[in-house]
Amino acid sequence: MTMIYSTNSFHKDRSRPLAARVAKVTIDLWLAATLVILTLAISSMRPQLLDVSNIAALLKTFSIMVTMVLGLTWVIAAGKIDVSFMQIAALSNMICASLAGYGWGWAILASLGVGLVVGLVNGWLVAFLRLPSLIVTISVAGICASAAAALGKGTVIRIADVGPVGWLLNTTLWGAVPVVAIPVLAVGALAWYMQERLAIGRYIYAMAQNEAAVRGVGVPVGRLTMLLFGLSGLSSAIAGVLLAANLSSGQPMIGGPYLINGLTVVLLGAMMVRIGKPNILGTMTATLFLGVLFSGAALLGLPDYQRQIIQGVLLALGLGVAAVASRHHGANKRGH
Amino acid sequence: MTVLKQLPKGAGRGVAFVVLVLALALAFALAEPRFLTHASLSGIARHMAANGLAALGLTFVVIVRKFDLSIAGVAAFTGMSMGAVIAAGYPLWLAIVVGIMLGAAIGGLSGFAISKAGFPDIVTTIAIGSVCAGMAFLYTGGRSIFQNFFQSGITDLNDARFLGISVSLWFLLLTYGIAWLVMHRTRTGLAFYATGENPTAAHFSGIATRKFIGSAYVICAIFTVLAVLLILAESGNAETNKGANLMMPAYAGVFLGAAIMGGTSVISTFAGILLITMLLDGFSLMGVPYYYSDGVVSLILLLGVIAFSDTIRTWAGGFKLFTSKTKRTGSVSGGQA
Repeated sequence: MTMIYSTNSFHKDRSRPLAARVAKVTIDLWLAATLVILTLAISSMRPQLLDVSNIAALLKTFSIMVTMVLGLTWVIAAGKIDVSFMQIAALSNMICASLAGYGWGWAILASLGVGLVVGLVNGWLVAFLRLPSLIVTISVAGICASAAAALGKGTVIRIADVGPVGWLLNTTLWGAVPVVAIPVLAVGALAWYMQERLAIGRYIYAMAQNEAAVRGVGVPVGRLTMLLFGLSGLSSAIAGVLLAANLSSGQPMIGGPYLINGLTVVLLGAMMVRIGKPNILGTMTATLFLGVLFSGAALLGLPDYQRQIIQGVLLALGLGVAAVASRHHGANKRGH
Repeated sequence: MTVLKQLPKGAGRGVAFVVLVLALALAFALAEPRFLTHASLSGIARHMAANGLAALGLTFVVIVRKFDLSIAGVAAFTGMSMGAVIAAGYPLWLAIVVGIMLGAAIGGLSGFAISKAGFPDIVTTIAIGSVCAGMAFLYTGGRSIFQNFFQSGITDLNDARFLGISVSLWFLLLTYGIAWLVMHRTRTGLAFYATGENPTAAHFSGIATRKFIGSAYVICAIFTVLAVLLILAESGNAETNKGANLMMPAYAGVFLGAAIMGGTSVISTFAGILLITMLLDGFSLMGVPYYYSDGVVSLILLLGVIAFSDTIRTWAGGFKLFTSKTKRTGSVSGGQA
């Protein structure tokens, strides 16, 4: 069996003494604490990090990245994998760029529609044909990447007018907060509510533990899987549209780097709040963490490939923490 | 039907594969007469050697029911490392030894993390692949390495021939032969399969399952090094993106072969990689733009896996040729995450 992430069991115990609860909060929020320390450390060396314009740029990339991986977080939380999200974004990016001349409304509608349909196809193949999610999404990623490149005959498509989406990205409140951050945070809050307070959230995490059992108690697992992959396709398609407006162009090769970035933020995010389980709040914190780290690295003059190495090490570190945590909880005895 | 029943199991699938290859060759030959020329066929043989080695390594990992997504990163880093050793003026054999050692070390690290420390396979190999892809830039900051390549004799690996067939193809046939003997005629091969089918049962049968999972990753990384060595030999330089085109054909070869042959094996991978290489070379000969090739491979992989999936075969249940009841038929769809 293939595990996507390490799983563990944990219990909410409200009768514990205060010290234990403080300790739990510390463990839950260590990534946020590291983020604060990292920000302070880098800004002490390079004060430009906290310039108003730099914060605006940081929040803009943050918003795009969070949109990209919102759906992915739940797909991985449900014990599946989606490695096609970044190529769906690239395809939607190119569709949006090639249709932007005919009006942004149509361009957005077409891009999001294609993203949603591709995501649903992924979900259908995984849920109803019982194909391995990696093989399905790896092939769909290849097809989407090819389609994206074919739309522009292998080159970039320029956009003359970035339209209303450009306004969302480039208008800032108090100079520091791009408008787009507000809906992104609102959607994040809504997703957090769904994941923590609604039945769907329970089902998602239960699916990762024992899909047959969830099916057995009457949850339509197949349709839920389709929904999760559909959401992943839709959210990465929205990110593709945002990228088109942000870069004033459609870039066929834009997908590549987002695979490792996306998985890093989701799995690093799984190191907080719900230890070992991908969750929305963790994903958002990790995205901000990575944004500050990269912005700081750029300010400190580190070359691109060193950032890539740092990121891979971070991802491995996150996995290590998850593996140790799950062994500590003693629930990860599968397969041996 | 009585005649058909006397044939060995899987013969129908073998016939289906041969028909598929011949039909494909015929289609390409009709569409582009140059397809059957000596230059084109020897090109296919060379490309098949590189793709086939990477796919053979991946086969071991897939047989123990894991995935390895670090192939591109490992290929980039070890390729640049071998290039750097050659450029520093050391002999070719030393470069190959260094490459294989580095590959074995990286594969060992993945294997250890996944089998012993209990890391999840997909994300771990993505992380390690990313670190390797970054480390490929350490030597030159991303510039191509070509110094000493012609003096070192690495290009002979590409050009040399034996009995009219390029050496790299002989090497491929030799490694597939050895791998076939090990995987399908020894207890070691059986242990690899048992580890994949049911690790708990294998464990209680006295098989050191963790050792087999770990060594599958080491084998995969070493074969990736050999594949990128052939790519360096063909192009005569080392670049950081040299391994980028190994991953998709390898996955497509392994899973398409498994879909056609009804299970992952050395022979099924050989069949799959032959089909994929023919397709890729045929399309590039016909002048199909480069950006379609990955999409075509992906589409064929997807269609192959769908067409031969358990569900579809149950729907088309009456058709005996594709519903053999051999033990290993489940392995395409059985590796569900």
